[in-house]
Amino acid sequence: MSDQPGCGPDTMIFLDRVSKRYPDQPHDAVASLSMEIKRGEFVVLVGPSGCGKTTTLRMMNRLVEPSDGRIWIDGKDVTHVDVDHLRRGIGYVIQQIGLLPHLTIAENVSLVPKLLGTNKVKRLRRADELLDMVGLEPSTFAARYPRQLSGGQQQRVGVARALAADPPIMLMDEPFGAVDPIAREKLQMEFLSLQRQIRKTIVLVTHDIDEALLLGDRIAIFGEGSRLAQFDTPLKILTNPADDFVRDFVGAGAAVRRLSLLTVGDVIDRSTPLQDYLQSTVDIHPEESVHRALEQVLAAHAQGIAVTLPGADVRFIALQDLLMAAAQPTVATS
Amino acid sequence: MSSVIIARRSVSSDRASVGILPAIVAALVVGVFVYIRVIPLDSIEARSLEVPLILNAVWEHIQLVLVSTLLTITIGVPLGVALTRKGARRIGGLILVGANAGQAIPSIGVLVLLAILFGVGFWMAVIALLVYALLPVLRNTMVGIQQVDRAVIDAGRGMGMSTRQILSTIELPLSIPVMLAGIRVALILNVGVATLAAFTNAGGLGSIISAGIALNRMPVLLVGSVLTIALALSIDWLAGIAERLLRPRGI
Repeated sequence: MSDQPGCGPDTMIFLDRVSKRYPDQPHDAVASLSMEIKRGEFVVLVGPSGCGKTTTLRMMNRLVEPSDGRIWIDGKDVTHVDVDHLRRGIGYVIQQIGLLPHLTIAENVSLVPKLLGTNKVKRLRRADELLDMVGLEPSTFAARYPRQLSGGQQQRVGVARALAADPPIMLMDEPFGAVDPIAREKLQMEFLSLQRQIRKTIVLVTHDIDEALLLGDRIAIFGEGSRLAQFDTPLKILTNPADDFVRDFVGAGAAVRRLSLLTVGDVIDRSTPLQDYLQSTVDIHPEESVHRALEQVLAAHAQGIAVTLPGADVRFIALQDLLMAAAQPTVATS
Repeated sequence: MSSVIIARRSVSSDRASVGILPAIVAALVVGVFVYIRVIPLDSIEARSLEVPLILNAVWEHIQLVLVSTLLTITIGVPLGVALTRKGARRIGGLILVGANAGQAIPSIGVLVLLAILFGVGFWMAVIALLVYALLPVLRNTMVGIQQVDRAVIDAGRGMGMSTRQILSTIELPLSIPVMLAGIRVALILNVGVATLAAFTNAGGLGSIISAGIALNRMPVLLVGSVLTIALALSIDWLAGIAERLLRPRGI
């Protein structure tokens, strides 16, 4: 099936030189954009407003029909297939949530299975399961109406609804944008751990670079005129920004942000063998983030960390060197 | 828990308003019948105010209102829906202008014109009422559909609902309250305008009123007007109950 270059067996979504032109507008909203998203990958599209990131997302389920180019999903060219059928196989979450106010939470969650002809008993059992999964007690919430829920609870329902038919792909347009900052952080963390269980292919649009760095396996930074300025892992974007646009967009806090993305294992080349006379250390697992390691060192007034590597080799990294890891991006990332 | 409280509160406030109107109507009707029993009536008045005659006029009036409103709904709602569909939106404005004009024309003018052109009778009166009451039904149907939250429709499309499914599961249910308000207005308008149907020999409470005027008999005039008011109030009351029952839960 994959007679397209850049479209291998691991590819879930492949945009092949897609463009979107609106009549009466001098510039293309999206101009000849190509992008490959792998199975199970969490990709975040980020950029200033008007950069075409939402248009790009909406072309993936053809809520916006591309003027040019092709869209491949799971090895199939879906540019011209039946659009309602296509969308039933793709989860869709929007900032405004868009729950049907006259349907109960359970009915809202089981909308797509209903469209697909699943029987009512199965649908409602699935709805309970999903509400549980997003942290809403079914016996409390299933029979309620959307307006009886807070914004954060409503968006959990929005996520549950998108997952109802167990689609391999989820498209999310600023899903946490309308939620207050405290609830947002909680939702983001919960969504990350949910993703670790369900392993969907997720494409999420945001204008918030911190959200992008927190959530994305890879981040696509859009510049003016839908130019794909950089499409890479969060760490690569922080350490090797492709150009000044990306550097400016990521902003001044890049060094500190990098601390939470680097693991102690990443900076182990700064370590020295642990000497016995250096008593003041904190034991840290190599998988911990440098940020977390720094916190513990500072809290314990220690001089550095002790890391036990496989083979019981104990290494020492001084506080100074942990800080340098943030300031000097010399790490070779895998 | 909170849902129960909300429901309970609205039920109790409904009960209060539901109780007051019928009491007023009952007072009006009883008052009228006591009045014509108590005061001395001359032979003309007595003949004009025989109970079967009054009941017949009321029944004719109800028929006029119900038939014309049903027809208005059958035409106005589908037309309103059709005019909000893609491609029809431009002529939608034009049709609304037409419906506006229909309501701007004095109803007595429409009635008389139709009578001159097509003759008199029940159905002529019904058509005149329809022309007059179409606007609120048509306009509220269109507004009701247009005011549906775009985000909900976007979510529906994103889930893979067809245009038809979006209409039946999102747009229509969510526009019901606005549509019902339009139908209620049409009903009440028709109760009033139907009194003019007497001029084209279609009967109704208007015939008692016009008899009262023609014969210069105050008690006859009074009975006709008070019963019209009582009928308008009771139909409004029934429409209010229907509105509450038909409004989808959750909105």
